[in-house]
Amino acid sequence: MESASIAAGGGSVESGVEDKGLKRNAIGYISNVVIGVASTAPGYSLAATLGVIAAVGGIGLQAPAVMIVAFLPMLCIAAAYYYLNRADPDCGTTFTWVSKAIGPKSGWTAGWAIIATDVLVMPSLAFVAGQYTFQLFDWQSAANSKWAVLAAGVIWIVVMTWICWRGVELSARTQQILLSIEVFTLCLFAVVALIKVYTSAPADSIKPAFSWFNPFDISTTHALVGGVLLGVFIYWGWDSGVAVNEESENPAEGPGKSAIVSTLLLVGIYVLVTTAAQAFHGPKLLINNPDDVFAPLGKGVLGSGLDKLLIIAVLTSASASTQTTILPTARTSLSMARNRALPGIFGRIHPRYLSPDVSTLAMGAVSILVFAFLVVKDQNLVFDAFTALGLGICFYYGLTGFACAIYYRRHLFASARNFFFIGVLPILGGMSLGYIFVRSVIDLRAPDSGAAGPLLGLGAPFVIAAITFIIGAVLLLLSIPRYREYFSRKAAVVDPKVLEPPPPPAAATEGS
Amino acid sequence: MAGIIVGYDGSDGAEAALRSAVDLSKRLGERLTVVFAFEANPVGGEALDYWAALREHGEGRLAKALEEAKAAGVEAERVLAERPPADALSELARERDAAMIVVGSRGERPIAAAILGSTPHRLLHLSETPVLVVRG
Repeated sequence: MESASIAAGGGSVESGVEDKGLKRNAIGYISNVVIGVASTAPGYSLAATLGVIAAVGGIGLQAPAVMIVAFLPMLCIAAAYYYLNRADPDCGTTFTWVSKAIGPKSGWTAGWAIIATDVLVMPSLAFVAGQYTFQLFDWQSAANSKWAVLAAGVIWIVVMTWICWRGVELSARTQQILLSIEVFTLCLFAVVALIKVYTSAPADSIKPAFSWFNPFDISTTHALVGGVLLGVFIYWGWDSGVAVNEESENPAEGPGKSAIVSTLLLVGIYVLVTTAAQAFHGPKLLINNPDDVFAPLGKGVLGSGLDKLLIIAVLTSASASTQTTILPTARTSLSMARNRALPGIFGRIHPRYLSPDVSTLAMGAVSILVFAFLVVKDQNLVFDAFTALGLGICFYYGLTGFACAIYYRRHLFASARNFFFIGVLPILGGMSLGYIFVRSVIDLRAPDSGAAGPLLGLGAPFVIAAITFIIGAVLLLLSIPRYREYFSRKAAVVDPKVLEPPPPPAAATEGS
Repeated sequence: MAGIIVGYDGSDGAEAALRSAVDLSKRLGERLTVVFAFEANPVGGEALDYWAALREHGEGRLAKALEEAKAAGVEAERVLAERPPADALSELARERDAAMIVVGSRGERPIAAAILGSTPHRLLHLSETPVLVVRG
C-alpha cells in the first residue's frame, strides 16, 4: 500500500512527501500582530478595566502609569512563553509545560488556574457585551436593568459558545478589518477627546500632566499593587501572539518583529486612551460608570452617531475576547484529558466540526451558571469576580515564568543571552507576579475590598478567589488517586537540541 | 501523472464522495488519493494537544476510507494535510496534475455556506482542476 502523510508536527509521517504547500502555514508578520492584539482585545479590556482601576483607592490620576507598570511583568513572562514554545513548538500548552518542568501536580494546578480564570472573566465579558448591546440602540432602561443585561449576557455566551463549537472562523482578512476599526476608533476617540480638552475644556476636564505617567506619584504601594492586579488583565492573552510560530528569516533570533509591534501598539493604545478618558471629564466619571465607561464619554467626545462606532468597537472586541477565552479553556481541558489528568470525555473531538466539543460546551454551560449566579445574587459580584481573576492570572503566569527557568536550568549559564532571557526575565516576572499575588490576597481580605459587600466577613473578591482555589484543591485531591499514571510522571529538563543553532531556513518552517 | 483526489472527513457527504471516487477510479483506471485536511485557529494558543488530537482523528478517518476503497478493489493513497481543506485539495490536485477533485456536499444553503464556510463552495472558485460535487 502506497501511503503518504503530510503533517507539520511530523508525528506520524509514514513517508514524508516534500510539499511545503500542504503544511500548516507559518504565521506571517501582520497576522501575528493581529493575533496578538486581537487576543488581548484592547477595546473590551479598556471598557472593563478603566472604571475599576480609577476606583482603586489611592490611584488618583495615575491610571496611565498603572497601564505602563502592569506591562513590565507581562513582558518578562512573554520571554518565558517564547522559550517554552521553542521547546514545544506549535503552540504548546501551559499545562504540559508546567507538568514537564515542575511536576504533574503543579501542571494540573496551572491547568485548573487557566480554566478557573477563564470562567471568572466570562461574567464580565457577558455583562459588558449585554450593556453595550443596549447602548448601541440607546435603550437606557434595558441597559440599567440587571435582568435585561443578564438575559442579553446569557444569549451572548450561548452564541459565542456555539461559534467555537461549530468551528466558525473569521477569515484572516475579516479579523484584520475588525481589528483595524477597533484600533482606529480607540485612537480617534483619544485624539478627539484630547483636542477638546485643550480647546473647549468640557466639564470637569483636566489637562494631562507628566505625573499621570509616573508610577512613583501613586500615593501608596497598596494602591499600585491594586491597580497592577487589574492592569495585568488588559495584557492577558498577548502572550499567545508572541508564542505562535512566526514566519521569519531566522526564528532563533528571539521574538520577532510582530511581538515588538503588537507590544508598542498595545501599550500605546492603553496609555493614550486612559489619558484621554481621564482628561475629558476627570476620573469621577470613570469611577461612577465602571460597567460602561465608553457610553457616557462617547457622545461628548465623538458626538451622536460616531459614538456608536466606539460601542461597536467594544462589542467586536468583546466577541474576540470571548472566543479567545473559550478556545484556550477548551483546549486546556482537552490537553488535560489527553494526558489522562481529567476524564477522557473532555478530549472528545466533534466528528464533523472538529472542535473539542464536550470541553467547549462544558465551558459555555459553566460560564452561564457562574454568570447567572453572580448577577442574581448581586451584580457587583461581577466586578469582584473580575478582581479575583487577576489573582488567577498572576498565579499561572508567575508559575509559567518559574517553569521556564526550571525547564532550561542546565542551559542558563551557557551564554549571557540565555542567562538574561531564559533565566533573569522569566524569574523576575514570576517573582513580581508572585509579589502582586501575595500582596493582593492580603489586601483583598479586607471586608470593604469589593464592589459588593463583605461575604462571611471577608472581601468579596477574596472569597471568590478562595472558593475557586478550594474547588480546585478538592478536584486535585480526587484526581490524584484516579489518574495515577499522570501524577506519577517525573519532571524533566529541556531537550538540549532546542537551543542549537537553527537548521537552514528551508527546514526551519517544519516546526520540529 | 493524473489521478483522482477525494476530500474525505467521514461525514455523509464525504462517504458519498468516496463511493463515487472509488467507482470512477476503477472505471477510468486512475490512481486514487484520499485527503483529510483540517485547520485549527491559532488564535487562543494552547493548541499543541488539540492539533495532535486532530491529526489522530484524521488518520483514523483516512484508515477507514482506505479500507472501504480496498474492499471495493481500489488501492488508494492517503494524505493528511494541515491546511484549509479547499486550499489543500486544489494545491495537491494542481501539483499532481490530477484529473479531478471529488468532494461531498452537505446540501448547505448558499447563505449559510457563505457565512459558515463551505469547502465545495470555496473549491469551485479556487480550483483549476475540475471539481465533482457529490450530494450526501
